[in-house]
Amino acid sequence: MLLSLLLLIPFLGALALILWPGSPSSARLRDVSIVLLVVQCLASFALLLPFDAADAGLQLVEQARWVHAIGLDYALALDGLSLPLVLMNGVLCLVAAIASRTIENRPRVYFALLLVISGAVNGAFLAQNLLLFFLFYELELIPLWMLIAVWGGANRAYAATKFLIVTAVSGVLILGAFLGIAFVTGTMDFSLRPILAGELGMTPQLVLMGALLIGFGIKIPLFPFHTWLPDAHTEASTPVSVLLAGVLLKLGTYGLLRFCLGLFPDAWQVAAPWLAGWAAISVLYGSLAAIAQTDMKRMVAYSSVGHMGYVLLAAAAATPLGLMGALFQMVSHGLISGVLFLVVGVVYAQTGTRDLNVLRGLLNPQRGLPLTGSLMIIGVMASAGIPGMAGFISEFLIFRGSLQPFPLATLLSMVGSGLTAVYFLLLVNRAFFGRLAIAPGEVVNPRILNRVALREQAPAIALSLVVLVLGLAPELLSNLSEAATTGLSLITGDLS
Amino acid sequence: MTPELSLPIQTAWLIPLYGFIGMLVSLPWACGWFRRDAHRPAAYLNILLTLLAFAHGSLILQEVYQSGPVDLAFPWLSVADLELNISFSLSLTNLVALELITGLSLLSQVYSLGYMDKEWALARFFALLGFFEGAMSGVVLSDSLFQSYFLLEMLTLSTYLLVGFWYAQPLVVTAARDAFLTKRVGDVLLLMGVVALCSYSGVMGFNDLYAWAAQDTLSPLAATLLGLGLVAGPTGKCAQFPMHLWLDEAMEGPNPASILRNSVVVTCGAIVLLKVMPILQLSPIAIGVMLVIGSISAIGGSLVALAQVDIKRTLSYSTTAHMGLVFIAIALQIPVLALLLLFTHAVSKALLSMSIGGVIASTNCQDITELGGLGSRMPATTTAFLVGGAGLVGFLPLGGFLALAQSIELLSVRSVPFMAVFLLTNALTAMGLVRVFRHVFMGDSLIKSRRAAEVNWQMAFPMVALTVIVLITPLLLVRLESLDGLLAFPLWAAALVVGSGLLGLLAGAVLPLSKAWSRSLNPVLRWWQDLLAYDFYTERFYRLTIVNVVAGFSRLASWFDRNVVDGLLNGVARFSLASADSLKLSVSGQSQSYVLTVLLAIVLFLTAVSWFLT
Repeated sequence: MLLSLLLLIPFLGALALILWPGSPSSARLRDVSIVLLVVQCLASFALLLPFDAADAGLQLVEQARWVHAIGLDYALALDGLSLPLVLMNGVLCLVAAIASRTIENRPRVYFALLLVISGAVNGAFLAQNLLLFFLFYELELIPLWMLIAVWGGANRAYAATKFLIVTAVSGVLILGAFLGIAFVTGTMDFSLRPILAGELGMTPQLVLMGALLIGFGIKIPLFPFHTWLPDAHTEASTPVSVLLAGVLLKLGTYGLLRFCLGLFPDAWQVAAPWLAGWAAISVLYGSLAAIAQTDMKRMVAYSSVGHMGYVLLAAAAATPLGLMGALFQMVSHGLISGVLFLVVGVVYAQTGTRDLNVLRGLLNPQRGLPLTGSLMIIGVMASAGIPGMAGFISEFLIFRGSLQPFPLATLLSMVGSGLTAVYFLLLVNRAFFGRLAIAPGEVVNPRILNRVALREQAPAIALSLVVLVLGLAPELLSNLSEAATTGLSLITGDLS
Repeated sequence: MTPELSLPIQTAWLIPLYGFIGMLVSLPWACGWFRRDAHRPAAYLNILLTLLAFAHGSLILQEVYQSGPVDLAFPWLSVADLELNISFSLSLTNLVALELITGLSLLSQVYSLGYMDKEWALARFFALLGFFEGAMSGVVLSDSLFQSYFLLEMLTLSTYLLVGFWYAQPLVVTAARDAFLTKRVGDVLLLMGVVALCSYSGVMGFNDLYAWAAQDTLSPLAATLLGLGLVAGPTGKCAQFPMHLWLDEAMEGPNPASILRNSVVVTCGAIVLLKVMPILQLSPIAIGVMLVIGSISAIGGSLVALAQVDIKRTLSYSTTAHMGLVFIAIALQIPVLALLLLFTHAVSKALLSMSIGGVIASTNCQDITELGGLGSRMPATTTAFLVGGAGLVGFLPLGGFLALAQSIELLSVRSVPFMAVFLLTNALTAMGLVRVFRHVFMGDSLIKSRRAAEVNWQMAFPMVALTVIVLITPLLLVRLESLDGLLAFPLWAAALVVGSGLLGLLAGAVLPLSKAWSRSLNPVLRWWQDLLAYDFYTERFYRLTIVNVVAGFSRLASWFDRNVVDGLLNGVARFSLASADSLKLSVSGQSQSYVLTVLLAIVLFLTAVSWFLT
């Protein structure tokens, strides 16, 4: 029942917001959704109580017949792979609602859509039926499209349409592959065993897996399917960017692990060297493209392309350690990019620009944004993999888990990790160091920026603290998921 | 771990934490939550914590001195086949290094009270110093390569923040950037080495790694790459050629941090290198590279120091030079020598840095050609410079002399050419120091130094204390049992060291210093002068090569992204819009044709699917 609660709270909440009598103020709606999301977040953390970390299998299974004729059943369950992602979804959706301070345009719809996304993502992480997963995967698409298209920036129509079309292609590919799997195995239930070599020739296996790979590769996103992401981020508002980077991209990597690797272990092994190469290209490409960006949000978006490439690298290696690293990277990337987008959002709200060609010296203690700058330094250092923060743990696990199978791709990805330091350091150095200036030539007497209240920074501070805690005590996370990631790995014997 | 360990040893894990706690307790002041009072309480708390770390270290040192080394380990992360521990090796060497770090940190924090007297962000400065000290203490005590890497990277971060402390100044911005990126290049290469070692050996503790390295199962290529990776990190940390640029730029940061950077931060890098030395033995090429790096840095660094006019830069290049000597000692597998050089260099260089900090504080000028005649005005500062300089070069009974004489003796049986490197470096260092001394402390008072007075007591006290420490360094060294062969060098070695020092002294003394000379009119001489003053044009070389290549690739990627990848996507979109536009003309309205189209499509689709799935 607990798992269904994670769907019911947000969905019923969204319904309640829509049906709320009268015309409630934006602040009132925000308060209500925050309360709902707090409850949902608490319910997610309550999962830790019954969860048995030593068990690699599915837990807390909930099943009901639904549209059984087409193979669509209601089946939810939890394992070590989905639990951390559900927790992160709970936290980041709450953060997004808290960060939605200035929604004047149709707040009722806005907060309802936020809740729908949160429920749909939970559903996708928990679904145990291919069609049910697909349903939730698509369900999250429309609200996000609307969030960009209605509450986005100046060029929002272009970005939203691009997002919708590209992600719809991803959905079609995934649905096609799922139908193919059902055609082969005769079931849509995905407690199903991996498809083995004897059952299906390697070519059809590769075709089905390839469709899934491209489908999820669009969502992750991997080069060359990534161009929707920088556009979507640039036009999306801060809370939507937090959700997009923190939670929605993780649907892609989750699908990669759960369906590509989980269902086609043999085909995966055949494709793995190519995938590792693809990962290295994606990492280097994303990092190099990020260096050339002048819009802070675009820079963070390209860094996501690079950092999600690590997940593909680790998945290609499919060692127990690498997969743990992949999961760790999903969580730490979600939290860190949350911090970065929140901070960039504050800068944008205060200065009206995100352009690195004009912003200077924002750390100025009197007229600038010193606390925001400090949080930015924490965020970029975490992203660059400085030890003591979560990003380092995931990078170390991924590199250590992938070096033996794919030495070259791993070393190239490490170069990408070095490049992360380059572009983010340039960001901090340009925008936050130096003499305060907000517009070109405006060095002499820039307008005084408003003090940002501490409570407005609270979400970013809280996320930074989580990043630090996970970086210093990584076992908090690794203990939850070790059984599941080991179960998923292709190498079952001991490595030593 | 035996249960009867004494309390100080059981709680040895606290030592790095003192610094980090100092950072945390400074935060309320650094964030401006206490608006009414100044930042002093944060400074005092940090000094107190450092004192505690020093005292705690002394207790452990005493115990270890009597009853032998102890290892402590606490499990930290265990995933799949990876086991990582937090482990401390409480050996005599490590503890001496720890005392050096906490002691110098204590002195420079007291010094900061005077130097940074009017600084508005004093609490932030002390928080960063605490962070700095904590990371360094952890590095020297670390018993695992992973932990050393972990803390070295934290050191990179804190160096960045300390160098960037006055972040509003344009030179500081580039200095902080270069410090971070240079070290980061070294760190990424080191990370590659660490990950590779961890993958191939499966262990991270130094002793386990030594045991693994002794089995020698690696191919020569792998061993070489591994060795180069492991050397790269310390090369960046110790400001060795070709990653030395950051140290002299880092001089834009506050001086008390420069004291630590010039003395103990570089020591940390060298100590990590010392700890991986047995693994480096697998690769002769890595050893060769270290020797080349060390020699170039030693001679090149001391030559470049001769041509600098910024008083802080003269010192930072001499640090590069001395670390070059340490690299040579480590490459030749003489750890005793490396430690001796590190210790004597650290105390003397810290004292020199304090002294020039005093000069800067009382004249607000860093250009040695604009200073003069300070000797009579600032007696304590002058004494500190003289004693520090004497302790650094081979001046008869002091630490530098003992270390160098020992080097000459040990090198004479191993590798005679490097004797020449050591002696040349010594002579050039002496020459450079005499040059600076003549410029700054002798001669007539110039406009900028006319009103200079001795530094305030907060700066004078640590300076005098360290002067005494440098003077008694030989006694300290003799008391440490592990170095009892300290005085066992032949007379000729002593004569060579003293001789090279005297030669440098004479050369520095007769060097013409007329101000018009600061850039020569003689084209040949000027060419040499410029070459050295601009550090062999290394910076320009980097800008033309690495920086350009990365920038070029990033622009290429960005262009490719906009025009090819995104262009293709937009092209597909436009194509489908256009084809839809033309297809709408083919709509006939006859249901038969619709059915036919749908049927055809289904048949085609099913054929394709069944072809794939069989």
